[in-house]
Amino acid sequence: MMNPENLIFLPVALPLAGAAAAFCAKAWCTGSLAKITEYGGALIGLALPWAFLAAVLPVIATGGVVEGVIGRWYEGIGITFRFDGLSWLVMVLIYSVTTAAWIYSLGAGPRNASFSAVYLILVSALSATIMTTDVFNLFVCLEMAGITSYVLIASSGKPGAALASFSYLLISASSMVFFLLGVYGLYRLTGALSYEGIAQGLQSLPDGGGTAAVVSLALMIAAVSVRVAVMPVSGWLPDAHALAPHAVSAVLSGVLIKVPLFALARVMLLMPAGMQAGALIGYAGAFTALFGVILALSQKDAKRLLAYHSISQIGYVVSAWGAAVHVGVTTPAGAALMAASFLHGLYHAMFKGLLFLSIGTTVDRTGQRDVYQLRGAARILRSGGERIPVTCICFFIGALAISAIPPFNGYVSKTALSHVLSGSFHYYLLTAAGVGTAASFIKLSRIYWPQKQGGEHSAARGRTPASVYISQLFLGGLCIAGGISASAVFAMVVNLLSASGAPVPEVAFYSSANMLKALLTVAAGLILFLLTATKKGGALLTTIRTRPRGFQDLFISFSLAAAVLVIWML
Amino acid sequence: MKPGTRWTQFWTVLSFAALAAVLVPVFVIDAPWPAAARDYVEAQGVREIGSYNLVSAVYLGYRIFDTVGEIIVLIASVIGTVAVFSAAGAVLAEGYEIDLRNMSDREKQEIMDDSSFTLPGEKRHTHALRTHLLEVVTGVLGPVVVLFGFYIMVYGHSSPGGGFQGGVIIASGIVFLALGNRMESSTMLTRPPVLERIESAAFLVLALASFGGMFTGTGFFGDFLKEFALYPAGFMMIMKVSIGLIVGAGIGYLCIAMVGREIT
Amino acid sequence: MIERILILLLMLTGLWSIISKRNIIKKIFGFTLLNNAVVMLFVLEGSRIGKSAPILEEGISQVVDPVPQALMLTAIVIGVCMTALALALAFYLYKASGSFDIRKIREAVHDES
Repeated sequence: MMNPENLIFLPVALPLAGAAAAFCAKAWCTGSLAKITEYGGALIGLALPWAFLAAVLPVIATGGVVEGVIGRWYEGIGITFRFDGLSWLVMVLIYSVTTAAWIYSLGAGPRNASFSAVYLILVSALSATIMTTDVFNLFVCLEMAGITSYVLIASSGKPGAALASFSYLLISASSMVFFLLGVYGLYRLTGALSYEGIAQGLQSLPDGGGTAAVVSLALMIAAVSVRVAVMPVSGWLPDAHALAPHAVSAVLSGVLIKVPLFALARVMLLMPAGMQAGALIGYAGAFTALFGVILALSQKDAKRLLAYHSISQIGYVVSAWGAAVHVGVTTPAGAALMAASFLHGLYHAMFKGLLFLSIGTTVDRTGQRDVYQLRGAARILRSGGERIPVTCICFFIGALAISAIPPFNGYVSKTALSHVLSGSFHYYLLTAAGVGTAASFIKLSRIYWPQKQGGEHSAARGRTPASVYISQLFLGGLCIAGGISASAVFAMVVNLLSASGAPVPEVAFYSSANMLKALLTVAAGLILFLLTATKKGGALLTTIRTRPRGFQDLFISFSLAAAVLVIWML
Repeated sequence: MKPGTRWTQFWTVLSFAALAAVLVPVFVIDAPWPAAARDYVEAQGVREIGSYNLVSAVYLGYRIFDTVGEIIVLIASVIGTVAVFSAAGAVLAEGYEIDLRNMSDREKQEIMDDSSFTLPGEKRHTHALRTHLLEVVTGVLGPVVVLFGFYIMVYGHSSPGGGFQGGVIIASGIVFLALGNRMESSTMLTRPPVLERIESAAFLVLALASFGGMFTGTGFFGDFLKEFALYPAGFMMIMKVSIGLIVGAGIGYLCIAMVGREIT
Repeated sequence: MIERILILLLMLTGLWSIISKRNIIKKIFGFTLLNNAVVMLFVLEGSRIGKSAPILEEGISQVVDPVPQALMLTAIVIGVCMTALALALAFYLYKASGSFDIRKIREAVHDES
C-alpha cells in the first residue's frame, strides 16, 4: 500500500469512493444517517487527499517523478499516469479551492447528497486530468469534468443557467469530438496512445507525421482551449459562471478553466509544432487579458463582472504559459515562465474563489445583483447579524489581491509575471489590463459604500451560517499568506516545475520600483474609473455591454480558431 | 455581428469551410493501420486477462479506467437529467400516464380521438397512449429481455457482449416492464428509488474494487484476484457485473423518467 | 477511400446542423451525427488489418484491431450521455420559453434574468 506507484492514484480513487458514498447516502439512507454518510464521503474525498499531498512532498521536492500504469498492465496499451511537480502543484490548487467551496455550499447551498456526489466526481476527474499521460484517457477525463460542470451549472434551477449550461455543453462536447478526431489521427500514425509512445512514434516517421499529425494536434489544442476559455472561444463562460450557484462559480472560475491548461502543456510537447502553437496561444492570452477586462468593466451584474475577470485573468496565465511552451518548459527561462504562470493560476484560484463567495453572500443577503443599484451592502450585511464584517473584509482582500496591491498574493504573482515577461509584447498588454482591473474593482467595491438616501434594500431573513464565514476566512487567509511568503513560494514552485534544478530567478517582490508600479497602476485605474463614470464613458460601456451575442458565434469562433491554429502550426 | 444579417451568414459559411478544409488531411491519411497493439492483445490477452473476447480484454482489462470514466459520465448524466426534469416541474410524454378511470365518457372520447394509439374497436380504461397489444407484448417479453441482458453481461469474456452491452439490454427490459404493467400489477424493478439503489450500490462496489489491487501488488484497478482465483476472469467479472448493473439501472431510470413515471 | 469521404460528409452535415440551424433539437441531432461519424471512422479504419471479429475461438486468426472498438465503446457512451443531458436541458428550455428556437429562447430567458 505504501508503494508510491499505488499512492499516486489516491487523489483519483479517494474522491471517487467519496462520491460513491454520497450517492449511496442519497439512495439508501434517510435522516441523520444520510447526512453522516454524505459528510463521511466528503471527508474521504476532500480531506484525505491533503494527507497524501503532504506525504509525497518529500519525494516530489527532490525532483522525484512517479509513473504508474493503471492495473500494472503492459504500458503499450494500458493507461499511464505521471505524478511530478506540476501534478503536485495543480492538486494543491484543486483541493484548496474545492474544499473551501464545498464548505461554503454547506451553508449557502445547493444542499443535497447528489450535489456532493457530482461535486466529488468533478474533483476526481480534475485530479485524473492533470496526472494522465494518455490522449484517450485525457479525453475521458475532460468529458467527466465537463459533464459534472454542466450538471452543476444547471443545478441553480434558473432558466438562464439552463441556457448557459446548454450552450457550454454543445460547444464543448462538439469540440471534444474534434479532440477525438485528433486522437484518431495520432493513433493512426503511431499506433500509440500514451504521450511517450506518440512522441517516439512521430520521431520515427520520415517526415515527423507531416500535415496530418500537425492537424491532429491542432484539433486537440483547439478543443482544450474551449475549456480554458482563451479569448476567441470564451463566449460560453460569462453566462455559465455568472448564473451557476456561488460555490460552483468559485470552483469553475478557480479550478476548472486552469487544470485543462496545465494538462495541455504535456500534450503540446509531443511534437515541435506544439511549441509553435504555444507562441500563438500566448499572444491570444495577452489579448484575452486586455479585452476581458474591458468587457468586465462594462458589466452591471456583479457576478457577470467577476466572470469576465476570470477570462481576463486566465489571459494572464495563458500568456506566460504560451511563452513557456514556446521556449520549452525544460529550459531555465521556460521553467521561470511556467512558474509565474502557475503561481498566478494558483493565486487567481484563491482570490477569485474568495471574490465569488463573498459577492455571492452579499447578493444573497441583499437580493440585488446590479452594481449600479446596490449601495450600502456593508450595512445590510451588518443588520443581517454579521457583527464582524467578515464578508466585507474578505471581499476587500480579494479585490486588493486581484488589483495587485501589496501585500496580497495577486501582487506577488503579477510581479512575477511582469518580471519574467518584461520587455516582451505581452508585458504591455498585461500592464494595460492591470489598469482596467483596478478600475473595475473600484467600481465593484462601491456596492459596500454607505448609502446616500434611506435603505431601499432590506436584508434577507435568517442568519448567515457559520460555514460561509469559515470558507471565506480560509481563502482570505491563503491570499494573505501567499502575499507574505512571496519569495519562498516562488522558489518552491520553480523548483518543483524544473526537475533538473534550474536556478531560481531573483525577483525582488517588495522592491520600491515594483511597489511604485503597483501604486501607479491603481492611480491610473482610478482615473480610468472616473472617466467611465462620466456620461460619455457610461454610454460607451453600455454599448459594449449590450452588444449582440449569439449562440452561433461560439461555433464560428471555434471553427476559425481551429483553422488559424492549423495554418500557424504548419 | 447582428444575428441573421448577411455578415453572420458570411462568417458562418467561411468558418464552416475553413474547418472542413482543415479536417481533410486527417481523413486522407494513407499510412497502414498500426498493428502493434493488436498483436500484443492477440498474443497475451487470453493469458493475462482471461478473456477470449479481445475487445472486452481491452476495455475491461488494459484500459479499465476509461470504462470507469465512461460509467461515471453516465452516472453524472443520469443525476443531472433527472434533476433537470424535476426542475422543469412536468412529467414528460404528457398523456402517457393519463388515467382514464375517473373521467366522464365525453372526456375519455376526446382524449381517445385526439391522441390515442388504440386499435379500432379497442376499449381502454387506463393509459390512453398505449394499446393492449403493446402492453401484452412488452409485459411478456420484459422478463425474458432482462434475463438475456444478464446473459450478455456475464458471458462478455467469451462471446460478444460485456458490461455495457448487457446493461443496455437490461435497461430495455426494464422499460418493457414499465410499459407492460397495467396499473394493478407492478414490479419493483420499474420503481425509480429501487433503480437508484441498485445503481449506487454497484457504483460503491466499483469504487471499492479499485482499491483492491493496491493491497495485492497489482495497483489501482488491478486484478487483485489474479493469484487465487479459480476462474481466470474473476476481477473482470466483478467489473462486468457492477458496470452492467450501473448501466442497466441508470439508463432504465433515465428512460422511465422520460416516459413520465413519477420521479422522487 | 470513398467510405472516408462519405464519413467526412456525414461529419460536416452534423457540423453544419449545429452551426446554422436555429432549432435546438436539430443542433442536438447535429452533435449526434458529428460524434457518430468519428466513431464510424475509427472503427472502420481499425478493421482494415484483419478479417475476423476479435473473439479468439478455435481456428480464428487475423483478427481486427480490438483497441479502436474498445475506445469507441467509451466514446459512444459519452456521446449518448451528452445527448441525454442536452435533450433534458432542451426540454427545460422549452418549458421555460415555449420555443425551440435558440434566438427566441435567448430573448425569453434574458427577460427573466
